[in-house]
Amino acid sequence: MLLEVLQGTEAGGFILLQDTVSYSGRHLLKSYISTALKREEEVVHVLGFEACEKEFRDGLDRTNAQRLHFHNAYSDPLGWTGNSAFTVHQFTLEDVSTLIKQTPQAKAVTLVIDSLSWILRHHDPAAVCQRLQALKKGGAVRTVIVLVHTDMHQRGTVGSIRHLATSVVTVAPGTRGLGAVAKTTRRTKSGKLMQDEETFSINEDLSVTIHSKLSHPGHTHVNTDETEVDPTANLTFNLRLSDTERQAKEKLALPFVFSKEKKSALLQPGPGSGRILYEPDANDDYDQEDPDDDLDI
Amino acid sequence: MFAELNSILNSSPESFKQGEFILVSDRQTDASFLIHHFLSFYLRGCKVCFLGLVQSFSHYSAVSQRLGVSLNQAREKGQLVFLEGLKESLGVLLQGDTSNGTPALDFLRDPSSGLRGLYDFVHGNIRGSEGRAEDWGPPVLMVDDLSVVLSLGVSVGAVLDFSHYCRATFCSELQGTMVILVRCEAEEEEEESDEGSERLQRGLTHQCSLTLQVQGLPTGYCRDIHGEVEVCWRGRCDGLQIQRKLFQYKVCDKGTLFFARGTSSAVL
Repeated sequence: MLLEVLQGTEAGGFILLQDTVSYSGRHLLKSYISTALKREEEVVHVLGFEACEKEFRDGLDRTNAQRLHFHNAYSDPLGWTGNSAFTVHQFTLEDVSTLIKQTPQAKAVTLVIDSLSWILRHHDPAAVCQRLQALKKGGAVRTVIVLVHTDMHQRGTVGSIRHLATSVVTVAPGTRGLGAVAKTTRRTKSGKLMQDEETFSINEDLSVTIHSKLSHPGHTHVNTDETEVDPTANLTFNLRLSDTERQAKEKLALPFVFSKEKKSALLQPGPGSGRILYEPDANDDYDQEDPDDDLDI
Repeated sequence: MFAELNSILNSSPESFKQGEFILVSDRQTDASFLIHHFLSFYLRGCKVCFLGLVQSFSHYSAVSQRLGVSLNQAREKGQLVFLEGLKESLGVLLQGDTSNGTPALDFLRDPSSGLRGLYDFVHGNIRGSEGRAEDWGPPVLMVDDLSVVLSLGVSVGAVLDFSHYCRATFCSELQGTMVILVRCEAEEEEEESDEGSERLQRGLTHQCSLTLQVQGLPTGYCRDIHGEVEVCWRGRCDGLQIQRKLFQYKVCDKGTLFFARGTSSAVL
């Protein structure tokens, strides 16, 4: 499913890439950009906060490189040195739309944010979610792909961003040194949720190779060669049941189990059971109505 | 500088990787021996800007003397710019409103303003020597230690902004090097607290290219083995993403011995 997400071209898509210190998601992000650039007439706008342009373009195919527009928010994101191309405070619908309008001839625009963790440090998470939703629904951008470092935020913050996403890819280092593990969750327009877990690695040309699918991660540890040991064998006394004995055992009604026969026996008073004779006094308030009449047994 | 560490990191004063951000972190032990190593390593040929926030100049001078480097000489030549945090902070705290002290330590007066003053100080010192830039190699920034500002009221976000700006200037623009020491305290609560040295260490790890994590031995104190160092190269190039190596070390009088786990001379 990871490859489907990477190559997906549905409109209004929001792909969330989650990583931690143990494995950086930036390579997968570059892989996605490389795939997007291979599609004709597609333009990619990058808001780069965490990596400089040189590092970002490193490894990408040069022939498509002019369709990648890198907006430098790395050198001066807060305006401290006075020569900033894009500051973190410019992350608003108007400013981002202005950036995107620089390439009006593009058939489809993909917006990449590297990384949202930077923005979440300087803006209120609710405001960030609102702006992301506005970008997603705005129509100027076909797909938004965002990188978030989950270990830098509280779970609630990451959870709110997850709710906006149509696909979530969580990367972690592989356990056996084969590559990395990606857990993908995809939500289709009809609301159906699909999940998958795959081991992958990224090649030199930034294409992704899937090594194996782990669709039932919990079952990989089951040892099917285990033979069951029969506890009733090799004893000096007999613990086995013959067929008649087994039938008699199954017919036996257990003493405290409330079965249908017992219930009807209790509800109808049988012959010989005690009768209650009640003579109301002058002071008593005798109501003929049965108080249990409305019970539905 | 420690010869064994040089071979572990594949670097020598004549040839080392440019544009590196080295993060030294420690937990329940003291990793400042690595700071002394890097200080004497880079003073062999580069201009160094050292922010000494926890020790006095004479302390580093005394240790560097044993490693064969004279900090006084380097400071006189202009090769070393040393911000003595402890001494300057007295000026800031005792004089109150008068702005006699350097604006570098403005965060002591107003922690919520962040570390912009410190960045301006660092930026100014490197830019100031533009004319004589060919005398020394690419500039180096060293900070010992950055996590102390957390206990002075600066937020983790402000520290990460400072390190980001330093990285943008030193590593990306000037192709120099940065070495930062952070000390992590063991967190007692299970939940991650918003402002803590652990979060700072994680944030800096995301930004850096090489980390050296120093820890005491999990089994306790040992006379011959002082702890473990885990070296992680965070991949910038394709191939294996993160390469890790684990060593044990022993700090001696004039250096540090590094050896693979279990091969200490006391054991073999």
